Amino acid sequence: MSFSSSYERFFDIPIGPQHPALKEPILLKLIVEGEHVVAADVDVSYTHRGVERAMQERNYIQNIYLAERICGICNVAHTLCYCQNVEGLYDVEIPSRALYIRVLVEELARIHSHLLWLGVAAHEIGFDTLFMYIWRDRERVMDLIEEITGNRVTSAINTIGGVRRDIRPETCERCLKAMDYLEERTKYYKKVCETDPTVIARCTGVGILKLKDAIRLCAVGPTLRASNIKYDVRADDPYAVHDEVPFNVIVYDTNDTLARVLVRIDETLESINMVRYCIEHMPSGPVRVRLKLSPPVGEHLSRVEAPRGELIHYVKSNGTEKPERYKVRTPTFGNIPALCEMLTSKGDYVVNIADVPIAFASIDPCLSCTARVVMLEREKGKLWVGSLDGLRRWRGWG
Amino acid sequence: MNEEDVVSKLKEAFGDKVSEFKTAPRRVFFYAPPEYYKEVVRFLAEKLGFVHLQAITATDLGDEIEVMPHLGRGLTVSVRTRVPKDKPVVDSVVDVIPGASVHEREAHDMLGVEFRGNPNLTRILLPEDWPKGVYPLRRETKLTPPKPIRGGKE
Repeated sequence: MSFSSSYERFFDIPIGPQHPALKEPILLKLIVEGEHVVAADVDVSYTHRGVERAMQERNYIQNIYLAERICGICNVAHTLCYCQNVEGLYDVEIPSRALYIRVLVEELARIHSHLLWLGVAAHEIGFDTLFMYIWRDRERVMDLIEEITGNRVTSAINTIGGVRRDIRPETCERCLKAMDYLEERTKYYKKVCETDPTVIARCTGVGILKLKDAIRLCAVGPTLRASNIKYDVRADDPYAVHDEVPFNVIVYDTNDTLARVLVRIDETLESINMVRYCIEHMPSGPVRVRLKLSPPVGEHLSRVEAPRGELIHYVKSNGTEKPERYKVRTPTFGNIPALCEMLTSKGDYVVNIADVPIAFASIDPCLSCTARVVMLEREKGKLWVGSLDGLRRWRGWG
Repeated sequence: MNEEDVVSKLKEAFGDKVSEFKTAPRRVFFYAPPEYYKEVVRFLAEKLGFVHLQAITATDLGDEIEVMPHLGRGLTVSVRTRVPKDKPVVDSVVDVIPGASVHEREAHDMLGVEFRGNPNLTRILLPEDWPKGVYPLRRETKLTPPKPIRGGKE
C-alpha cells in the first residue's frame, strides 16, 4: 500500500460527538496521513436507549408508540414493521383498504425522507441554495402527511389490525395535485444533480463501495443499490400490497456518492407514481379489524424497506400481553461496516478529509451503533482491526 | 428456491443433525446444535447463496441463550442454536460473512454471548463505563428507573 502524501506521520482527527456536520451524536475517529484518511472508526454508543428491553416491559399497544419513537424520520416504517409483526402472530387478514393506506403513507414518508436527505447532502457539499429549495418542497409532503394522519412527524397511523384513520376523497385530490408539483420539482433536482459542476465535482468518485464489498459487508438500502445490486424488500419479500403496486427497483453502477444521490432521486419519482397508483386503485371497505390484546404463542419476523434500507423486527410471544423478546435491526446498523470501508483509502482510492462529511452522509445515517478501529502497520502495509486501547498501547500513549 | 427446497437440501446435507423445521411464506426457521452451527451457516452462504446476513437475534430462554442469525434477501432462513447460559460460547461466522461482525458484537453486548473466532468482540452499543458482566437483555438484569437530577424525591 502506498500513499502519496508528503507527511511522515499519522494524525488522529476525532470529529464529534457534538458535531458541526450532523445533528445526531456520533464520534468519527479518523486516522489521517496528510489529507488522506487511512483508517476510520465510528462510535455511536451515545444514543443507546434500551428500546428492546423497554418493549419487553410494555404491552403490545403501548409498543406501537414506542416503536414509532425509535426513529422520527422512519416512524412509518417502524410502526408498519411492528404492526405486521404482531399481526403475523395472530394469523389474521388485514382489510385491503388499510394495506393501501399503509403503503400510501409509507411512500409519502419515503418521499419526505429522501428529500430531507437530498437537502442534507446538498448542505454537506456546500450547496445551500439547493438545500433550501428541496426543504421548501418537502413541506408539501409534510402537509400531506399531516392532513392524512393528523400529525406532521410521528404520524401514528398504523395500528395492530389496520390503520387508525380513513382517507377522505378531497385529501386524495390534494394529494394528487401535490404529487404533480413534486414530480416536476424532483425531475428538476435530478437535472441539477446530473449537470451541476459543484454536485458532480463533490460527489463523483467519493465514498466508493464496490459491488463485492457491498455483498461481503451486508450493506442495505440505497447504499447497496448504488453498488449495482438489485435488492429491495418491497420487491424481494413483498409485504402489505407491494405485490400489487408496480414499481421499479432503481440501481446505479458507479458505486459512489453521486450514484446514491441519483438512486434516491429516482426512488422519489417511483414513490410519487406509487402514491398515485394507491389513490387510484384504493378499494373501499373497513380500515381496521379488532384483535385481542394477547396474541397466541409464536414467533414472527417482519421486514420492511425503510427509506434507509432493510428494516428487521422479530417478535417472540409467550401468550401474555407483553412480548417475550423483541428485536429491532435498523438499516444504519447494517451499513456501519460498509461505511468504514468507504472511508478507508486503499490503493488508488483515496479519501480526503474534505470528502468525509458527504461520504459519511451518503449512507443516510440514523444513529444507533459501533466502536472499532482499523490499524495500519505502515512498514508492512498491513491492516488489522483492533481496539482503541490497543492503538494507544501500540503508539505508546499509555 | 422456495422454502421446501431449502428444507430438503438442509436435510440432505445434515441429516438428523438439523431439526425443529418451521416454515411460513418466505420464512424458514430451524435448529442446529452449536457444534454444527457454523458449518450450517457456511453451507447456507456458500452452497445455497444466502450471503446476506440481516441480523442476529439472541434471546435469553432461562437456562439457555438462543442465538439466531437471519440469512437471505427474499427468502429468510433463520438458524437457531442454543448454548448454556453459564458458558455461552458459539463459533463466530465473521470469516464466512464479514458483515456479521457488528451483529455478533451487539449480541455480545446485550446478552454476553462469546463468539469464538471474532477478532474484535468489543463494546458497540453500550457506553464505555457500563459495568462489566451486566447484560441488559438477560432476565436477571433488573431495570432501574431513572433518578431525578434535582428536586423531586427518589
